[in-house]
Amino acid sequence: MKIQFVTGKGGVGKSAVAAALALRSAQSGKRTLLVELGGQSFFQHSLQTESITYTPTLVRPNLSIALWSGPECLKEYALHLLKIPQLYQLFFENAVSRSLINVAPALPELAILGKITSGPPRNVGPALPFDCLVVDAFASGHFLALLQAPVGMAEAIKMGPMAEQSRGIQAVMRDPKISEYFVVSFPEELPVVEGLDLWQKIQAQVGIKPVAVYNRCLPDLDYLSESSPGLRPWAEQMKQSLTQQKRFAKEWVQAGVNPLILPWVAQTTRGSAWPFVEALAQDPAWSALHV
Amino acid sequence: MFDQLAKAKVLICVGSGGVGKTTVAAALAALFASQGRRVLVLTIDPAQRLKTTLGLPDSGEEVRIQGPGLKTETLYGAVINAKATFDDFVSRAVTGAGLGKDVAERILRNKLYLQLSTTLSGSQEFTSLERLYSAVNSGLYDLVVLDTPPTQHAIDFLQAPQKLAALFNDKISQWFRQTESKTGWLRSVVHAGTVQVLGALERLTGSEFMRELRDFFQSLEGWQGRLEDRVTAVHRLLVDPDTHFVLVTSFDAAKLQEADFFAREIRKGGYQLSRVLINRAFPLWRERLTREEDRRLVETPISALSPQLQLARQMLLQDDLRSQQYQEFVQMMARQCPVERLPELGEDVSDIEGVLHLQSYLMRQGDSK
Repeated sequence: MKIQFVTGKGGVGKSAVAAALALRSAQSGKRTLLVELGGQSFFQHSLQTESITYTPTLVRPNLSIALWSGPECLKEYALHLLKIPQLYQLFFENAVSRSLINVAPALPELAILGKITSGPPRNVGPALPFDCLVVDAFASGHFLALLQAPVGMAEAIKMGPMAEQSRGIQAVMRDPKISEYFVVSFPEELPVVEGLDLWQKIQAQVGIKPVAVYNRCLPDLDYLSESSPGLRPWAEQMKQSLTQQKRFAKEWVQAGVNPLILPWVAQTTRGSAWPFVEALAQDPAWSALHV
Repeated sequence: MFDQLAKAKVLICVGSGGVGKTTVAAALAALFASQGRRVLVLTIDPAQRLKTTLGLPDSGEEVRIQGPGLKTETLYGAVINAKATFDDFVSRAVTGAGLGKDVAERILRNKLYLQLSTTLSGSQEFTSLERLYSAVNSGLYDLVVLDTPPTQHAIDFLQAPQKLAALFNDKISQWFRQTESKTGWLRSVVHAGTVQVLGALERLTGSEFMRELRDFFQSLEGWQGRLEDRVTAVHRLLVDPDTHFVLVTSFDAAKLQEADFFAREIRKGGYQLSRVLINRAFPLWRERLTREEDRRLVETPISALSPQLQLARQMLLQDDLRSQQYQEFVQMMARQCPVERLPELGEDVSDIEGVLHLQSYLMRQGDSK
């Protein structure tokens, strides 16, 4: 089982990259689950699929999508551990415990990670019949908080089931044979600076070097040579963006990271974003990855 | 464009992460300051370059913003330090309730509080509203513009303080206190249901976690009302007729759909959504393209175009689609609130020049109406 976490600053195209990764994995014959976190499905609208819920929905051969929220993951875990449905109902239908669960520090985060890492070697709860999980994870700060949840919990609480779970989750997330991390950015200062910072923090936290994905890059062309007078403003803009793109790429390289460069892909048709995801998934740059 | 907002005392910029809220908030603040009003912009985690060029200190202090090209002397700014503000609020609430400093320290040291006061659980949202509330009540400003913390969905921001208040709710603490009987906790027979629920929680989490949890709730005793009061007062400020929400969004079908949903929710909550700003909605170069050039690109067979021109054509087609989608979106939102587009400036906007450029664009839109 492989788990691929995809993160980055908001708006960098995390979800598209996650979908492309998942599609590639499915096309290579692996049973793949694309996981969305939170309460609302993004892919249901953008990929125009059937309704996406906690239970995986098959959307393509070998490719399913699921939407996992903290409270739902916690519920499943509780049922697994308590085993008595009445007790579980009593617990989750109690107004006070409900509001507690909503905000109890790191509990929902821990439950989400517990669910993601519930397959082998932990084998906690219901079986996850997939070879690869691609997690369209939270943006930078929130993702770090997610990573921190089992660490903080294991430090705060040293004994009991919670501590045991936290340690098990951590072990999976630090295992390079299972877990992979992708930090997505694109050629602008904030996404790059935040991306680099995130890249370093993830590595420090889990000891695994994330893959840096430099998304929406322009092809390296001589734009000014092609321009008729009418296209001059466009060509100048492209040249400026390209210069900036190269400058930020250098920042990644200087930090010792060789980013995987993905192209800017236009969205020119209405309807499902599948053609967009397919175009992104077909890019030759991916071959640098050992998928 | 912004006549309706001329009397606003509070502007809250909401939107999901990465849409450019901070820059838009700063540009709006600069715009109103240029009309002579004393404006404070409260930002959360701005880009280093923006922080540097605006001269905002990390201490969180409110300072006057000066900069090349800035033609106003009434623009102020501050960075919100969430953890420090939250700790400070808790300390003040505890001592204000007549409890000792040791009580405050006990809370600040509680392991669960430490997790609570980080980015999780809505404390950041609560903190930014707390800071807004203090700034408005200081009477120093005519207008306070708040840039909100990055959330996955725009609506998360509004729900966070209530969620946090629910945790600090007296009922939960009582619940933990009631189970603390003289014969030891979980032995009370008074609330059998409660005991069972707590028992379930303990089986799930372990006794050590429960001890921390109990300690946390017990330490809230005597001052938690202050947090609830503040949440109520903040809510009153948010529904005030002089408080306006501005939704900043990017151009993305899913985000626009969310904007519609958000507009409804925000109304349901009794708040005023006064503007939707779609950031980076169109490229500036498009305006400067000649008609003939435009048509030539679209009508020439792709195979006859150089790689450069194929890219230009793709960009044109995407922009055409977006223009259509924009018109549809404006119509859809017509009954909710006005919508404006901001251009993709094509330069890095994370500094004061970017802010001023955006401000000039906002102003231009104002002139055309």
